[in-house]
Amino acid sequence: MSAFAAVLRKDLRLELRSGESTIALLALSLLVMVVLVFALDASRVRGVDTASGALWVAMVFSGMLGAGRALLAERDNDCMRGLLLSPLDPATLYAAKLAATLIFMSVAEVGAVVLMVLFFNLEFNTALLRVAPILMLGALGFAAVATLLSAITGRTRAGDMLLPILAVPMFVPALIAGVKASGAALSGAPFAAMSDWLKIMIAFDVLFVSAGYLLFEHVVGQD
Amino acid sequence: MNNAIRTWLGVATLFLMLASLFMVFEYVPTEIDEGIVQRIFYFHVPLAWVAFVAFGLVAIAGVFYLWLGDQLWDDLGYASAEIGMVFCTLMLISGSLWAKPIWGTWWTWDSRLTTTFILWLLYGGYLMLRASAGDSPQVARFAAVVGIVAALDVPVIIASVRLWRTIHPAVLVTKQGGHGLEDPRMIATLLVSLTAFSALFAWLLMLRFSQVRTHSRLQALAERLAIAHAAAGDR
Amino acid sequence: MEHFGFLFAAYSIIFAAIFLYVIFIWRRQVALDAQLRALETKLAALSNAPALQQDALQSESHSKT
Repeated sequence: MSAFAAVLRKDLRLELRSGESTIALLALSLLVMVVLVFALDASRVRGVDTASGALWVAMVFSGMLGAGRALLAERDNDCMRGLLLSPLDPATLYAAKLAATLIFMSVAEVGAVVLMVLFFNLEFNTALLRVAPILMLGALGFAAVATLLSAITGRTRAGDMLLPILAVPMFVPALIAGVKASGAALSGAPFAAMSDWLKIMIAFDVLFVSAGYLLFEHVVGQD
Repeated sequence: MNNAIRTWLGVATLFLMLASLFMVFEYVPTEIDEGIVQRIFYFHVPLAWVAFVAFGLVAIAGVFYLWLGDQLWDDLGYASAEIGMVFCTLMLISGSLWAKPIWGTWWTWDSRLTTTFILWLLYGGYLMLRASAGDSPQVARFAAVVGIVAALDVPVIIASVRLWRTIHPAVLVTKQGGHGLEDPRMIATLLVSLTAFSALFAWLLMLRFSQVRTHSRLQALAERLAIAHAAAGDR
Repeated sequence: MEHFGFLFAAYSIIFAAIFLYVIFIWRRQVALDAQLRALETKLAALSNAPALQQDALQSESHSKT
């Protein structure tokens, strides 16, 4: 547990000093939102469904580029080797990197929600609070997939190109469920309308966090 | 021994294929509602069956590779994924060719179609990873992990896509999947083509698997030779 | 015989693709044979140098264990 805290603290301190990942994620979210507003014809009336869709597009696209950062940072100067040589369980390393990515993504999500409200003419109300847990579940799932896969793709020739190709199809179930659930939450539907979607997201998160936790040692090992 | 089995399997596949073709085009009666296009079904279903078996095999091979560390399992997973991808692509194409005259559209986001398409994307990614990682020693472990994770994803994909399409009613409410095979000759035809495609899969898998095996052993041998060469050259 | 074109297209695409895949396997086999022959040539050259051969055999038995 202390190893977990140490790695996480190190990553957060690095992030506080440079702000690299969070700013990149926020900037990408902003750009995706702007592109979507243009693409979806600004004069048309847009419903909450479009807005929640835009939110998830922003999460997936910014996440694809930003979510692997916490792990990629260790590649410079071969820090990864140092981490693996230290008495640190690879699974703990995975958990710490996952937590760091999740925190960066959450900060970006807050920004994306504000942008969504502004760009899609919604109101700042309690419906946004109901979207928050859904977004957190989605970000957790995406971070779990991306952290595991970026450890793989970072070591191939195609590199970062390959991460979206692998991660997006895997993320599809959580994406479908997330878009549907947050659309329901924004339009003020009762909890029953989204409970099935939330179950799928929880199942996805449990599955991928545990798969990553168990399989991470196989992808970071040196040989 | 192995070669003899393979040859006989190849011959059997050929005969089974010819038999199923004969049954599809001559023997089986034409379905009344859908007409002649329904005959695509007799190859479409076996293609789907083989593709799912092949993808399942990828995950099993992945588990065994991580467990036992024998290169054999990695080679099996590779061969299986490649063949599965060929059959999955053909399943999508043949399904599309059936859907156009029957549903009036090449593609619809029906739950089964969507699930298959996402699987196609997943294993396409798996093969791209293999191609991109080249001959690096970690590729086997990477592929095993991706193969396992992809298979774990399948039930969640099915559940989510099914729920997605149920809440959002399908645009086309035809009797999807309701191929009432009321004629016993239809069932016989389907069974024969299922057998034919299973044999084809087994034959292709044996062929490709032994080839991948040879390739990785050759690679290992060449490496060893290079090491020996270098060691001798140093002196 | 309505829509016969679709049926014909489906079956010809299936068989064309399987045929192409078999050709692809066959071409890989040709490349593999070439690789094997190159390795054999290399080994033959090695066996002319006795000291080297010893090394090659040693490393082979070593990595087998």
